[in-house]
Amino acid sequence: MTMHSKPTPTRTIAFAGSIALLATAHFAPAASASDGKIAIKCGRIITQAGADIENGVIVIEDGRIKSIGPDVKAPWDAEVLDHPELTAFPGFVEAHSIRGMDRPNENIEVAPFLDVRDSIDPINFYFEDALRAGITTINVQQGPQCVIGGQGRVVKPIGLTVEDMTVRPSEGLKIVAGGKPGRSRATQAQALRHAFSDLRFYLEKLVADTKDGNDHARREAMFQGRDMDKDENKQKRAMEGVAPWKIEDLKVVPRGEIDEKQEPLLRLVEGKLMAFVNCDSAGSVETALSIARDNGFLANTVLVLDGDSWKAVDLIAEAGVPVVLGPTLLFVERDPITGKEIETFVPRVFADKKVRFALQSLNSTTQSLWYQAATCVGYGIDRKQALDAVTRTAADILHLGDRVGSLENGKDGNVVLLSGDPLSVTAKVQYVVIEGNLVYDRSKDARARQLLEGVEQPNAALQSPDDGPVDPHSGKKLDADKKSETKSDKKD
Amino acid sequence: MASMRSLLLPLGALGLGVAVAAGTPVSTTAAVASAPIGSASIGPPSIANVVAVQAGTIHLVQDGKVFEGGATILITDGKITAVGKDIEIPPGARVVDYGPDAVIAPGLVAANSTFGGRARSKRAVDPLVRAVDNFDTYTSPVFTLQEGITTVYMSPGQGRLISGQGAVVKLAGSSESERVLSDSATIEGSISEDARRTPGYWEPPVPATIDIGMGQQQQQLPHTLMGAAVALQELFEMARTGVDNPNYAPGVGRELQELTRAHKPWRIGANTVQEMRTLLDAFKQSSHPLIIEGANEAAALAQEIAKSGVPVIVDAPIAPNQGGRDFGKERDSDWPRYDAASALSRAGVKIAIAPSDRAPASDLRFAAAVMSRGGLDPEAALRAITLSPAEMLGVSDRVGSIAPGKDGDLAVFNGSPTDPSTSVLATWIDGEVAFSASDWNAKRDKNVSIGTVVVRVGELYVGDGEVLTPGEMLMRDGKIIAVGRSVGRPAGAVVVKAGAAGPGLIDALGYLGLEGSTRVPPARFELKRLVEPGDFADKRVAKSGVTTVALSPRGVARSGTPMMAYKPAGEDVERMIVADPVALRFQWNDRNRRESGKALEEILKKATEYDKKWSEYEEKRAKWTPPAATESSKSEGETKDGEAKKDGEKGDAEKKEDDEKKDAAKKDDKKDEKKDKKKKGEEDAPKPITGAWETKVTLPPFEEARMRLYVNDVDGKITGSLRCDALSSTLIQVTGTREKNKVTLSGEGSQGTVKLEAETKDDKLSGHVMLGDSKAAFEATQTSTEYETARRGEVRKPKEEKKTEIKGEPKAPNVDAELEPFRRAKKGEAAIVVGVDREDEILDCVDTFEKAGIKPILLGAEDAWKVADKIRGRVSGVLLTQRVVWTEAKTGALKRNRYAELESNGIPIAFHSDAEEGAADLPLIAAYAVSQGMSPTSAFYALTAGAARMLAIDKRVGLLKAGLDADVVLYDRSPLDVSAAVLRVWVNGKEVR
Repeated sequence: MTMHSKPTPTRTIAFAGSIALLATAHFAPAASASDGKIAIKCGRIITQAGADIENGVIVIEDGRIKSIGPDVKAPWDAEVLDHPELTAFPGFVEAHSIRGMDRPNENIEVAPFLDVRDSIDPINFYFEDALRAGITTINVQQGPQCVIGGQGRVVKPIGLTVEDMTVRPSEGLKIVAGGKPGRSRATQAQALRHAFSDLRFYLEKLVADTKDGNDHARREAMFQGRDMDKDENKQKRAMEGVAPWKIEDLKVVPRGEIDEKQEPLLRLVEGKLMAFVNCDSAGSVETALSIARDNGFLANTVLVLDGDSWKAVDLIAEAGVPVVLGPTLLFVERDPITGKEIETFVPRVFADKKVRFALQSLNSTTQSLWYQAATCVGYGIDRKQALDAVTRTAADILHLGDRVGSLENGKDGNVVLLSGDPLSVTAKVQYVVIEGNLVYDRSKDARARQLLEGVEQPNAALQSPDDGPVDPHSGKKLDADKKSETKSDKKD
Repeated sequence: MASMRSLLLPLGALGLGVAVAAGTPVSTTAAVASAPIGSASIGPPSIANVVAVQAGTIHLVQDGKVFEGGATILITDGKITAVGKDIEIPPGARVVDYGPDAVIAPGLVAANSTFGGRARSKRAVDPLVRAVDNFDTYTSPVFTLQEGITTVYMSPGQGRLISGQGAVVKLAGSSESERVLSDSATIEGSISEDARRTPGYWEPPVPATIDIGMGQQQQQLPHTLMGAAVALQELFEMARTGVDNPNYAPGVGRELQELTRAHKPWRIGANTVQEMRTLLDAFKQSSHPLIIEGANEAAALAQEIAKSGVPVIVDAPIAPNQGGRDFGKERDSDWPRYDAASALSRAGVKIAIAPSDRAPASDLRFAAAVMSRGGLDPEAALRAITLSPAEMLGVSDRVGSIAPGKDGDLAVFNGSPTDPSTSVLATWIDGEVAFSASDWNAKRDKNVSIGTVVVRVGELYVGDGEVLTPGEMLMRDGKIIAVGRSVGRPAGAVVVKAGAAGPGLIDALGYLGLEGSTRVPPARFELKRLVEPGDFADKRVAKSGVTTVALSPRGVARSGTPMMAYKPAGEDVERMIVADPVALRFQWNDRNRRESGKALEEILKKATEYDKKWSEYEEKRAKWTPPAATESSKSEGETKDGEAKKDGEKGDAEKKEDDEKKDAAKKDDKKDEKKDKKKKGEEDAPKPITGAWETKVTLPPFEEARMRLYVNDVDGKITGSLRCDALSSTLIQVTGTREKNKVTLSGEGSQGTVKLEAETKDDKLSGHVMLGDSKAAFEATQTSTEYETARRGEVRKPKEEKKTEIKGEPKAPNVDAELEPFRRAKKGEAAIVVGVDREDEILDCVDTFEKAGIKPILLGAEDAWKVADKIRGRVSGVLLTQRVVWTEAKTGALKRNRYAELESNGIPIAFHSDAEEGAADLPLIAAYAVSQGMSPTSAFYALTAGAARMLAIDKRVGLLKAGLDADVVLYDRSPLDVSAAVLRVWVNGKEVR
């Protein structure tokens, strides 16, 4: 391994040992982002935007890609990652994940005012695993055990605080169209309709109250901490946008007076917020689309599919909404008459109907995004489409197409250096660069090494069976298990 | 026959434009065929999609009208355009005829189902819950369609005062929107027990602060019947004003107002008398339409309900198939009652019958049957599961009856729609087949090639004298499954009706199958080598009713002539043979009368010695205890069915029996005088692989397929055929060689050259088969040692491998094919037929046979009637000549019916044709005997069970009895009636055409 300018230890995560060490490692890159000038030289660059580049250079400055190409010269002061044997690939984009939080679900059914910000756990091992798998952008959303969940957030898997990690806050609301346990689709659909009619009732009441001269809403807003003399709170009218239903005279209500519990839902029907709608069956797709249509957020809807939802592909194609496919790509059902299994490869269904789809990991290690994409190729999906589903398309679905998903000038400097083709089983992520900072170096990933190679036992070969460690108390020889115990103890 | 032809006519008369059935229904002439008959592609392209569906009986339900004796429903583009007896079928229309026995009813309407799911709102009143949201259009409800149900009500949930809006949907259909008949059919709710347990409603405040607190549950009405009455009044008030009541969720007022303005009926559950009375009272004061659902105790309130004009959906208070239940031991426990529907119907209340909330919609017909207790007439019951629920739910403009303008939704049954034992042949929705039993069965049981048929006749002649009036018989896969006054109707069963039915007739001695040959083979000749699937003549004979023939070569050899019982009209060679040999035939009288019987006496002497040898062996064997179990169990394992045929069936069968007597049996051929030329060194010599081998192979990407190999192995040169759908769509002719136990075969299939390499080992043929690059391993077992082609050369049978001797073990005598039938005849397992006529000779013959312990069948036996007293009980039976009536040659006096004479003297008789295709005359010979004074019952017995018993083949044929072969003859009237005509005939469960 050659490395012209070795990154300082603080820039590289050494996945070893204590949380404290990890935290320090996470913290460091964010702080040093400003001097993040890095040039990556490698044998092959898969840009995901046009042709691949052989023996090219990527120059990242201030976190953005400044130039990319075969003849680009590395700035004299940049640290250089020179690896002609490696392949550069844009960081994988996880279009939807309910992991990385202390808990993904919330008891309150309709809670658009929640935010995963309060739940994301920066030191969750999930993020470490994501980094190891080359995932650099993750859309974290609330779990599906609700009716209308809180707001999700796009994060990068590095940073000490949620703010450090955040790529974009309030990425969208989680909405669940399939019945949660104990509910049917009908009661779930009723609860969804109810949530939006509640919003209407609230707004109507607000208008009536304002007309009656009550300052109840204003006082509530001040209680919630809004400065009602601020222009944006004072002037902006309470509702704009696209919802097919309108509340008459809502313009008399200042924006700032809208209760923060209702505000995210209002933004949704105004077309200012995305909706990630979970569908667990083909029937729930219909519910999802009709709710979205009736409340004007169809254009901002992304369906997160599971179960046999793919059967409603015609409806989805007609509505023109993109989808994030569930982790299980091969759908298996039984013919009720013959009992024979019928297999359907779900991405194929969507590819055939020209529906934009992104993939999500089952978990970040064993069935990570590259694996999902490789499975697609294995089942005959076009390679470009499969790769896009974990990079470009996923970024586009998240409206982050201008920042991530491909290696182009001006985009975020998120680069994964792989030992082979991104879809190869044997290829490993060697380095991950996020916004110009080298944040992962496989050679220093102690945890991965432990996992793959086992715990090394230095001098084990030298020791004869007779002169092994001896228990100081009993004078007896320690057995093998205890040996390693004592060793790891020492390490700590 | 005549009537068969007339049934053919309607199909034939329709001309070229007629294609039979897209959904492969069972057409009249193809009632038994499970294979699809043709397809829709034959017809010319039609402009409008017109289908003519025909059946014997059609229940319109509308106005209670029923067409019988054949009628047609015309469906154009999914809608019914005409129905009646003499409908002109437009050219280009698809005609689907289900036959005269099929019954068509409107597609059934389930007024209750589990399609809505069991989830319910937390609110006691939540009209915003719409059951239609639960409609899953992506899963085909095959098990409901299978019951003829085309329309179901979807409930928004149970156990709430108002659980939401019900929906009515169709179970199949062209477009999603067409399938929803009503997305808001009812305001559903309940005031019965389960709805009075709604827990309090609690919505935690967000955020809960010290000032606000966590809040508390809000109690929800009703907990009592009084509470329900109050709640209903509150709801009516909300519906009237549209203003919310703080006791209920916001928005309820507005929703209720909209629903009541649209005059949606309130479908409210009530089971007890009090509950129903509360409902009637509450709704009497409002103008809202009410439907009572549940109505368990409605019988007591029938008059009151009738007066109010409220329709009732009666839920069958039983959920079968779901385990046991208890009702309560108290005096006032609510026990289920099954009389509500009949009582309400009598009182003039409009009723619908539905399965209970817990039972699936597919139990609809069962529910209707259960709720018919107390005297609900079938017509009313049918209406209660079709038109009445459609009317109540407001969808009768589209479904519920068969009338022009309505949807082409039909249920085709093989019997009365309200009889739960009938099954559905097909279900139609919008003029398309949504379920077809024949398709279903074909898909499910690929291996069952012979369909399931229920024969339902006025008189069922079992054969042994018993007559069931009426009688039914169920046959499946070539066997009789059940016989009785009524039998089950498994799904997809075709019901065939006729005046009478009886077992196939037996020709006790005939030549059908010899094809004119007069060659006399030796006694050890296996007649089954002559057998080939029935040809035209064989089928004609079968159509006269004669399905089994005891075949014998024409001449008689001194050592005996073999006889075989088989079914000439059969199609499956293996199944055609009933018994081979079934008997040996001899001639007693000699041209020189003094020599009469001499030859046979010699043979009998030998037979007695042979039998003695066997008896001694059996005796020893019974006493012998094997020294060690391990070795002997090995030899026992080698007694394979396939081997049973090798050394003459009897011999091996006998051995098998012995083996059964002693677990530790072992075979030994040491005493074999004639055949045992085997040396020790030859023990390992590989056997020829001649015969049929069967296995299953999986050749990717194909599914597992059956592979059958028929080969003839002559000194290592192999010729034969291979059949396997995965390898070739055609029969593959294979040739190859066998070197020791290595077998190499190859042949050309439809997909290219097929090669087979295998080894024989332990009676199995294992190896692999190759087609191009793909390769599949197999292990075949031998199902027959015969190479199945007609008139194949006699193949020397392989010697059985010599087993290691166990010291002291009794040695079995060798099996002598010529004498073995005598031994079996002694045990009553086979027959010895002896041609004899004069009375003195008859007596001599019977005496001689008696000494040998055998009861012979006398053939010819002109004078037998004269000595009937003396031979009674000493003969198995008598086969008289064709001359039924005997007249004294010289005087012309003394006219006697010899059949009747013998029969009345207690001597079993049977009829024989003494001809080839002349066997078709057999019923007429019997009929003539009857006309000359023989009892018809006895004659029929002699044609069926009598003959079977005499020939010891009564375990296969001769009776209509469960487990026997499905050889059935359908008559238009009693087969004892001389004028009875044969309508249809089945051999081995397959109709003879």
